[in-house]
Amino acid sequence: MKKLLIAALLAGTAATFAQAADDLVKEGEKIFNTKKLGNCFACHDANGKKINGPGSLGPKLQGLALWPEKALYDKVYDPYTTNPVSAMPPFGKNGVLSDKQIKAVVAYLKTIK
Amino acid sequence: MRKTVIATLLLGSISLLGAGDFDAQAKKDLKALKEYMEKKFASRKDAGTYFPYTPKEELDKNYKWGLKGEDFLLGSYAFNKNGKEQYDEVNEMPPYEDNVDAGKELYENTKFKNGKSFKDCFPDPAIAGEYPKFVKGKGVVTLTVAINECLVSNKEKPWNMEKGKLADLEAYFASVSKEKGKKVHIVIDSKEAAEAYEHGKKIYYTQRGYLKLSCANCHIQGAGKRVRNEYLSPLYGQVAHFPVYRLAWEDLGTLERRIKGCEKNQGETTHKLDSKWMRDLIYFLTYMSNGLHVAGPDIRK
Ligand code: HEC
Ligand code: HEC
Repeated sequence: MKKLLIAALLAGTAATFAQAADDLVKEGEKIFNTKKLGNCFACHDANGKKINGPGSLGPKLQGLALWPEKALYDKVYDPYTTNPVSAMPPFGKNGVLSDKQIKAVVAYLKTIK
Repeated sequence: MRKTVIATLLLGSISLLGAGDFDAQAKKDLKALKEYMEKKFASRKDAGTYFPYTPKEELDKNYKWGLKGEDFLLGSYAFNKNGKEQYDEVNEMPPYEDNVDAGKELYENTKFKNGKSFKDCFPDPAIAGEYPKFVKGKGVVTLTVAINECLVSNKEKPWNMEKGKLADLEAYFASVSKEKGKKVHIVIDSKEAAEAYEHGKKIYYTQRGYLKLSCANCHIQGAGKRVRNEYLSPLYGQVAHFPVYRLAWEDLGTLERRIKGCEKNQGETTHKLDSKWMRDLIYFLTYMSNGLHVAGPDIRK
């Protein structure tokens, strides 16, 4: 009985975790595709995703699922750390996106194959 | 030895700025820009270097290559084939024709209260390629500023600098200049003029707004790429066709109005349309079309 309860509890938390992670990805996707937020699609297409009229100023994003979260976070926070002549705006450093929003974007980027 | 070398180098650069040479740097900049753009759009073969992120199929199908000099007057339609088709369709009945007529009417029949008219300020209407001018004591005078100065000096109220009568009058000036085969002819003939040019250039290359983008990010490196579905026009030859009828505005607008829109794209608070910032920027921008034919008014998306 006790075991069952624990199992149920565990299943429950796993489900909530999954739900929370899902919401985070959705929030990140929205930031990516909204002009007033990240506006990432102004410059980027993304492999395997349906993006509405993506620009070609930046690369088509692919294989990001393999990037460490920190590398993605840093890229969005301040692309100049890895590329001093990047034409990509520093979204974190400029305060366009909050820490929480960048984490959501990173969660979404991690789903790009 | 080293010192003499440095001394001669210095002497060299000073003599470069000697009388009559105030536009030496601007000439060099223009030549370099033209060469860069002509190389960038020279052929499909080298496109991968300049357009690393543009889908190959798009480079194959939608781009026109081999662009030279005056081709750039068309802005993004110079290379974007689909866009050019739409442009040609709209141009069958150019929506700015009424504006040109209205501008002609304003030029010929406006009487100021003191009895004078625009003809007293601008005896020759074929002047679109002559502006901006650098005037000692005033700085850079754009055509927009000159028209309002004409009004104010005759005790009339200045006009809106984005659209309406002022844009109509500019459309008339541009159309007469175009008919007469006039070219963009910007003069830099003093130290102060060269400084204004350099100031405009600095503005162009400075990252601004919360997005930290410069005009150059989008219209030099970015030229030919897309921001979402919008192809970016190259700086070279970019402003010889103003005022412009924009389908997005459903209206004719001045260069100042267009620049204000781009400032907003950059996430920048906008500058006043007759500020030194705006006038110096337009001086630089227009110099980068020097020698090309006046091509206005025209239409853009
Ligand atoms: C104005 C254009 C522009 C915008 C807007 C933009 N980027 Fe970029 N991005 C670039 C360019 C150019 C590069 C390539 C140069 C570099 O790596 O810095 C790049 C590179 C990247 C990379 C590295 C890709 C790789 O394979 O190396 C990631 C990840 C990325 N961007 C994510 C984003 C996200 C997320 C946003 C929105 C929050 C965004 N970008 C908005 C222009 C842009
Ligand atoms: C985020 C990208 C971006 C930045 C930064 C930017 N522009 Fe633009 N600009 C555009 C787009 C998109 C258009 C519309 C397509 C086109 O014609 O290039 C445009 C159009 C223009 C045009 C009209 C071209 C025509 O053929 O009618 C001018 C002039 C211009 N920009 C000047 C500037 C100046 C000056 C700056 C800096 C103060 C600037 N732009 C910064 C994106 C940008």
